[in-house]
Amino acid sequence: MTITRRDLLLGATATAALMPLVARAQTSEVVIGATYPLSGSGAQVGVDAQRAFETAIDIINNDQEFDLPLAKGVGLPGLGGAKIRIVYADTQGDPQKGRAEAERLITQEKVCAILGSYQSAVAVTISQICERYQTPFMSADNSSPSLHRRGLKYYFRASPHDEMFSAGMFDFLDAMKKKGAKANTLALFHEDTIFGTDSANAQTKLANERGYKIVADIKYRANSPSLSAEVQQLKAANADVLMPSSYTTDGILLVKTMAELGYKPNAIVAQAAGFSEKALYDAVGDKLEGAITRGSFSLDLAAKRPMVGKINDLFKAKSGKDLNDNTSRQFMAMIIMADAINRAKSTDGEKIRDALAATEMSGEQTIMPWKRVKFDEMGQNNDADPVLLQYIGGKFVTIFPTQAAVADAVWPMK
Amino acid sequence: MTAETIIQSLASGLLMGLLYGLIAVGLALIFGLMDVVNFAHGEFLMLAMYVTFFLFTFFAIDPLLSAPLAAAALFVLGAAVYLLIVRFAMRAKANVGMVQIFATFGLAIVMRGLAQLLFTADYRSVPHSWLGGKTVSVAGIFLPQPQLFGALVAIAAFGGLYFFINRTDFGRALEATREDPGAVALVGIDKNRVFALGWGIGGALVGLAGAIMATFFYIYPDVGASFALIAYVTVALGGFGSVFGAFAGGIVVGLVEATTALVLPPSLKSVGIYAVYLLVVFVRPRGLFGSM
Amino acid sequence: MDKSFTERRRRELLVAASLAVAAALVPLFVKNPNVQNIMILTLMFGALSQSWNILSGYCGQISLGHALYFGLGAYVTTLLFVKFGVLPWFGMIAGGIFCALIAMALGYPCFRLGGHYFAIATIVIAEIGLLLIQNWEWAGAALGIEMPVRGDSWLKFQFARSKLPYFYFALALACVAWFVTWWLEDSKWGYWWRAVKDNPDAAQSLGVVVFDSKMGAAAVSAFLVAVGGSFYAMYVSYIDPGSVMGFQFSLLMALPAVLGGIGTLWGPLLGAVILIPLTELTRSYIGGSGRGVDLIVYGTLIVLIALARPEGLIGLFSRKGATR
Repeated sequence: MTITRRDLLLGATATAALMPLVARAQTSEVVIGATYPLSGSGAQVGVDAQRAFETAIDIINNDQEFDLPLAKGVGLPGLGGAKIRIVYADTQGDPQKGRAEAERLITQEKVCAILGSYQSAVAVTISQICERYQTPFMSADNSSPSLHRRGLKYYFRASPHDEMFSAGMFDFLDAMKKKGAKANTLALFHEDTIFGTDSANAQTKLANERGYKIVADIKYRANSPSLSAEVQQLKAANADVLMPSSYTTDGILLVKTMAELGYKPNAIVAQAAGFSEKALYDAVGDKLEGAITRGSFSLDLAAKRPMVGKINDLFKAKSGKDLNDNTSRQFMAMIIMADAINRAKSTDGEKIRDALAATEMSGEQTIMPWKRVKFDEMGQNNDADPVLLQYIGGKFVTIFPTQAAVADAVWPMK
Repeated sequence: MTAETIIQSLASGLLMGLLYGLIAVGLALIFGLMDVVNFAHGEFLMLAMYVTFFLFTFFAIDPLLSAPLAAAALFVLGAAVYLLIVRFAMRAKANVGMVQIFATFGLAIVMRGLAQLLFTADYRSVPHSWLGGKTVSVAGIFLPQPQLFGALVAIAAFGGLYFFINRTDFGRALEATREDPGAVALVGIDKNRVFALGWGIGGALVGLAGAIMATFFYIYPDVGASFALIAYVTVALGGFGSVFGAFAGGIVVGLVEATTALVLPPSLKSVGIYAVYLLVVFVRPRGLFGSM
Repeated sequence: MDKSFTERRRRELLVAASLAVAAALVPLFVKNPNVQNIMILTLMFGALSQSWNILSGYCGQISLGHALYFGLGAYVTTLLFVKFGVLPWFGMIAGGIFCALIAMALGYPCFRLGGHYFAIATIVIAEIGLLLIQNWEWAGAALGIEMPVRGDSWLKFQFARSKLPYFYFALALACVAWFVTWWLEDSKWGYWWRAVKDNPDAAQSLGVVVFDSKMGAAAVSAFLVAVGGSFYAMYVSYIDPGSVMGFQFSLLMALPAVLGGIGTLWGPLLGAVILIPLTELTRSYIGGSGRGVDLIVYGTLIVLIALARPEGLIGLFSRKGATR
């Protein structure tokens, strides 16, 4: 086992290299970890997330005139103006690697909290490691409902999960039906991953409870080379509402294939993911006039809350993109975590955990259409209301719920 | 399930199958020439799609026109990969097969990394093209123009390749080198030039496929992975080394994929392809058209 | 069977024993959990690759679908524990035996296939397995299964922070895989395989016995890989089809043996010792950039090693390991 000496050396060098950082962290720096896929098929989301976190850190570390926690003044006042530094780790979308990286961030980089992680499967192992090391983990963008139901003390999620999202979608459908819109039959189209399965399970349950008929339930293999067969089945079913749960790649192929096979759905109500990504609308936006997606974020909010537009500009300067479903949630996760650390006045995991549990942030102090941020005993924020957005004239407008809506839904889609 | 659904499925499957054949034929050609499986084949396809995308984005060249350019670019890449990597991998004295597999597998990883570095991880696509999104409808059966055109190119490419291998001097040199690389040296044929040309042609063919794919598929650094396994199965099903086999294998794979989705949940449609492959090789251990 | 041969085999055993003892002492000095994690993965992949090498290296049946046995081992252990409360120690053996049987059932039709046809058949069989589990509700489908973690326990082989038990298990597995290979080299089977490699005509006359020995190699190889899968499931305590049965995993298992020296006694371990730390460190220290540089470095090194040392890195060392 020739590794012996090599590893000894390596451990020694790594420790030596980290010593000054550790020392600094105690005085003027708070280190937060972020675990995302930074290479491989989810890399685009991970790279965008880096820009979202950087935007949040800019606002926290510098003096900014926003009504967000920590925007005014420099750094974290509770820790003597300490600044936040973020360390990224690449999970490559693999649970084992995510686990190893989380452990490395905690033990070597001395992070006091971790944000993550896009793929829900990776969040399972990261949150487990965080629990073992009593380090808070916040799901910025994982939407699997099972994540917070595992009895973990150090798990938090400020944004909605798939059941809340789906409930929002069905509330919207109920409202449309009341207005006389034709929305009785549904076609579910979902990928065979955790995201697709969770989404379809939640939707099936809600459809049965609320008296909708599912005329097609199509589970497909993510990143298939062809979706012709799947689209034919959708076309044959010809449901009133098509409900896709797909990432960008399959979303693009789905819409292109629908056009090629002459299938024009009556209405699309999507479970975000690919349907809130700019890349999808760049590719097939002309075929999606009137498509509806649930979302956790809406730029329309800028009219009521000007800070949303300004923060979007800050983000756009870094990434060249508008804030979307994912990046807005990542931004907020950083703000909420920093706020808790500030109130904990410590980088101790348990104290941060208690501060997170005591979080009470009003919706106005976020960039989201949420009522407030307050975690239940499982670490889930149940007051994060999803919105429904419709793609009209090249941009999204909020159409539901009524208090957030700026326009009426166009139904059926063009 | 109506008759129309079945006919539509078969038609879509056939078109897609021809395209699978076109993607796979370069692999089959290279294997037939020198017993090498190129594990970076999917990444060749990815690169061809990016070439098409950038020609469209920066010079507004439609994929139809840029297809020859993509083919040329991939010709150069294929020849370069042979001359810079595979040539050396073939010098291995032991387990040549595995060395080649892993040399090209390493290359595939490098190409993905480079694509992410240079082109970013963003999902791209060619939003408007002459064929993109257009479709021909015959008696309620829809035939998308990009795939229809792809099918025609595939047929033409197979015809051309057949002619090239069987009717030209160079094709004969190719065939002779394949039969006995040692002996051809005696008659003044440079083995390396022939092999490099073979890799170039193999690359050019996948370049054509990539240009057509770009009209209806998304593009990102990992896109090749979706097609690589199908390409290997296609080649093996048709019989390693048989160009005609790749053609037939592609059609079979396309049809089986489409019909499996009619009877099983679509998420299991690849199981149909894999099962047919196993059935075929258990009966014919060298694939449909491999030399016995 | 001359004297120097017996002598050499005795020396190999001695070297292995000293290395194992030396390795066992390392964690007493290296406490960094990240480094320990890398050592555990190195030993695990070394053991997996050594097991793969029995079928693919010595026996010449290149399998690119060993993720099937790894995944099934992980699933059998986890399902038995989560659904029926069977302790992982028994689940591990059950998974191993199950996979050995599967390997023989699959070997029966597949060993008739030559070279690449065999390799592709192993790939598609593993993919079929992956797709079936991915669509099997009872086994957790795409959601995967999480091992409930409830404190440290030797009985359940669960440890919250300590990595030492996992390290010693992985070390033991690597030793067993090495010893089985060492023992096979000098067995009847070992001679047949060498005879067939050196003289293809001999294959004809040995036809039947060689087929039986291939079945045996497949069973042993699958058993050990399945135990590795069980270990992974307990170590990571969460499995899902994509991460334990993906095609990538089959390649990762073969890679150390190929780089170290396929069909050699020391190749797989040597390959793992170089490759796994490299993989982990490139990802940890340059993967965070999000620009794919880690992939470029990792891929380039694979290409360079494959080209510079096609017979495997073992060739860098003296004749002793390389020749067989």
